[in-house]
Amino acid sequence: MISWRDPRPFDFVLLAAAVALTAYGLVLIYSGTLNTSGGALEEVVRGPVGRQAAFALVGIALCLVISRFDYRFLAQGSAGLYIGLIAALLFVLTIGAQEYGSRRWIEIGDTRVQPSEIGKVIVILALAKYLSDNSERVKDLRVFFTSFAIALVPALLVFAEPDLGSASIFILIWLGMVIMAGADMRHVLGTIGMFVAMAPFALIIVVTDYQRERVSVFLDPARDALGTGFNILQAEISVGSGGLWGKGLTNGTQTQLDYLRTQTTDYVFSVLGEELGFVGAMALFALFIILLFRGLRAAAISQDIFGRMLAVGIVIFILFQAFINIGVNIRLFPVTGIPLPFISQGGSSLITVFIAVGLLESVIVRHRQVTL
Amino acid sequence: MGYTTGRRPWSSDPPTPAGDEARAVRNKIFYFGLLVVVVFGILTLQLARMQLVNGEKYRLRAETNRLRQVPVMPARGLIYDRDGVPLVENRPAFAAAVVAADVPAGQEMDISLALQDLTGRPASEIEAIIRERKASNDPFTPQVIKENLSNEAAFRLREQLASLPGVRVVVKPVRVYNESVLMSHILGFVGPIDAEEYERLKDSGYQYDDRIGKAGVEYTYESLLRGVAGTRAVETDASGRELRVLGETAAVPGMNVVLSIDVDLQRRVEEFLKAGMGKSLNAAAIVMDVHTGQILAMVSLPNYDSNIFSGEVDQAALAKLSQDPAKPMLNHAISEMYPPGSTFKQITGAAALQEGVANAGTMIYSPGYLDVEDEYIPGKFHRFKDWRSDLGTMNFYRGLAMSSDVYFYYLAGGYVKDGRRVFQGLGPSRLADWARRFGLGEATGIDLPGESEGLVPDPEWKERNVGEPWLLGDTYNFGIGQGYVAATPLQMLLVTAAIANGGDLLIPTVVKELRTADGQPLQLKRQTVKRNLNLDPRNLAIMREAMRQAVADGSAFTAQVRNVTVAGKTGTAEFGERRPDGSYKEHGWFTGFAPFNNPEVAVVVFMEQGNGAGTAAPVAAKILDYYFNQLKVAKGNAGP
Repeated sequence: MISWRDPRPFDFVLLAAAVALTAYGLVLIYSGTLNTSGGALEEVVRGPVGRQAAFALVGIALCLVISRFDYRFLAQGSAGLYIGLIAALLFVLTIGAQEYGSRRWIEIGDTRVQPSEIGKVIVILALAKYLSDNSERVKDLRVFFTSFAIALVPALLVFAEPDLGSASIFILIWLGMVIMAGADMRHVLGTIGMFVAMAPFALIIVVTDYQRERVSVFLDPARDALGTGFNILQAEISVGSGGLWGKGLTNGTQTQLDYLRTQTTDYVFSVLGEELGFVGAMALFALFIILLFRGLRAAAISQDIFGRMLAVGIVIFILFQAFINIGVNIRLFPVTGIPLPFISQGGSSLITVFIAVGLLESVIVRHRQVTL
Repeated sequence: MGYTTGRRPWSSDPPTPAGDEARAVRNKIFYFGLLVVVVFGILTLQLARMQLVNGEKYRLRAETNRLRQVPVMPARGLIYDRDGVPLVENRPAFAAAVVAADVPAGQEMDISLALQDLTGRPASEIEAIIRERKASNDPFTPQVIKENLSNEAAFRLREQLASLPGVRVVVKPVRVYNESVLMSHILGFVGPIDAEEYERLKDSGYQYDDRIGKAGVEYTYESLLRGVAGTRAVETDASGRELRVLGETAAVPGMNVVLSIDVDLQRRVEEFLKAGMGKSLNAAAIVMDVHTGQILAMVSLPNYDSNIFSGEVDQAALAKLSQDPAKPMLNHAISEMYPPGSTFKQITGAAALQEGVANAGTMIYSPGYLDVEDEYIPGKFHRFKDWRSDLGTMNFYRGLAMSSDVYFYYLAGGYVKDGRRVFQGLGPSRLADWARRFGLGEATGIDLPGESEGLVPDPEWKERNVGEPWLLGDTYNFGIGQGYVAATPLQMLLVTAAIANGGDLLIPTVVKELRTADGQPLQLKRQTVKRNLNLDPRNLAIMREAMRQAVADGSAFTAQVRNVTVAGKTGTAEFGERRPDGSYKEHGWFTGFAPFNNPEVAVVVFMEQGNGAGTAAPVAAKILDYYFNQLKVAKGNAGP
């Protein structure tokens, strides 16, 4: 039975950081949708803020349930989940819902589910299972490449959506986990080298016009100042104009006068940058760093390889989602459409990260069990 | 009991990491921690660069985003006739406009198609405009797509605005002319600014889709009629909606122009001219105050309708106008030059008197022709005809009054008979010099665009342009206003006015005064006299008397008016190709002034293919009769 009063060391700091980030996100979504909601409580509750809060409650509940759950049980199911994921991604590619030129969603009623989000956790589980099962032979090229294939298949499928951002997250997760598992660094470096060498050809052959356009607009947003480049420029102006303290919540001219687009999802960080400034961003970074260090702590104290792999995968996952999303906002990366974990509006992403936090808690809660 | 407690056979159960391995794990986790710090360090550095180092620059850009300077267009000045009759109005009208910056990328064609349905303008044109404006450096100012929308179309467009981002309904006044045909050559019209004008004037507050005076007074007085645009600083959201006005500098409305034209007189002049011109292709008439140079009426026929340029240009009407051989768009009173014929004798006569070539008593006999020996072939004679063979011996008065060609051949070129010079004439150089002094060969300076300068020939000119030496015959022709000399009706009118007013060559104008928008008259320091001709008053008196006689019992007798003594000069000028029977097509001229004793007005009537006494002078008589016996009486003898 799940016992709610549990004496075992549930990590409240980890959960608190996750909840604080989510609350931070709700505040930003509130400000970002103020000109459509008008600020009336009823409108706010019925609008994106209320919806996001509901997703957060579902996420927290799932997190708590999963933390009571032995993560090792999930290891057994990881193969099934993985096959389900591949099927879902194929489904999305063929008949998924389309928006902004890519297919990423499955529509269930009026809800859209983005399988690539939960897919990242599934790939983490599958890789953790495979790498822990083969931990002795991880330096074998065969094991190395099999683990690579586990990440590469879903990566290629989301790449075809096209979702270059999520595809690179899959690869980065694999890279972090395979390093953690103790892979031969020559194999790792060789693979990275191969990627780098292939990049120019990939740009020409594999990458679609849509992605190439995004990259070229990133390099020179002025070439389409009122189209794709508009968002990049406006995000840059938003963040930059925030200065040290920001213009004050709900006082950002860029945000409130609609210059910022997709201001609750891809560009939610720009709302923060404009209205809460450098100080607000540092607060956000602090919360992320706390959360990620608690994740690494889970990896450190885990008593089994599977748990450690799982924790490291999750840390890499959240770290790079945040890195790429914020990097897009401050012109370090081209537009990719990766949500900012806990912050960006969107149920798939929010529930996924809470499941991830639940898995971390599960690892933490169970680390002493084996010594009982 | 559940699967969350206790060991399970399916749970992986790894061995506790031994010392070395545990250290390796801790090391790796340390590096992952380092990775977390480095990643957020990179983000922090970039953020600090943007927000702390360049924050001010971005703040400025955010401000320019939010704040827009919206031009506030001034109301264009109105135009009145000399008695305050309004000739033009600014009628409010709806127009469909597009703010290119607010049309979402990719939706240009959809929006253009929707606008095509509502305005009738082809979608391809609209789309081209949107794209052009998007690429320009000012995609924010609304660009008018279709002016003069019907109220119903404007209403339907308003209803659909929500689904047409970037589209606006704006109020754009349309210039409507009340006397659009009668006054077309004077008022002109306004039309859309062209690319070249916009390039030149955009810094003076002109907009891309602005209208600008294209002809007539609308053109000449553009800078005064237009006024000064104001600006309104507004806060706008990304779709261009104006949320708040933050400041405003008011527009200064344009000046009102009061024309010197009397619209009643203008109407009668047009009526008389139309009735008198018969099958003439063109006709023109001008009535002018001989002291001030103010034009009281100026008609050029055929005219056009200024209103076809209001709002959307009526292309069919425009095409018809430009193909008409009568050139209705051309003001024939000022823009076309014609041989002045016998009206030029005013200049030959005045010059001969002033140069001492002739005096009032100079007697010359006209046998009806003058034979001149060829300058290269001795014994060969050229015969220069007079218009009548029964003129006999004439003094100066009679010579001008009867418009004897032989008399003026003598004055212009002199006469050599049997190798003996019997009369010393002016010669071509002095004649040309006087023609220029009287204002021929240069623009009069009237405040209307498109003036022709006319042509004053001399031996040098002929050598250069015709490639032949100047002959005595050329001087003879010159002296009677034939051959190469050419002038506009307005130029000939100014010659007459100078004789009437004591020798002042006037600068004519169609404007009496300018007023501010609230009606305050503006003191206009206008130069009314171009130059004084330095003619002896006695010689001017001789000229006036000769012209009086021309009307009283001379060649211009058809210009007589009851109760008023008219002085004037007819002209019947040959032009074009010589017909097989030796005759030519002829233009009809009359130019004169009245009253003889105290000149007030001068009038010129010109008819393409007419006759001086036969068709031109009678029209002048009707005009002067109306002016003195009806208009002036009605106005209580107030005078112009």
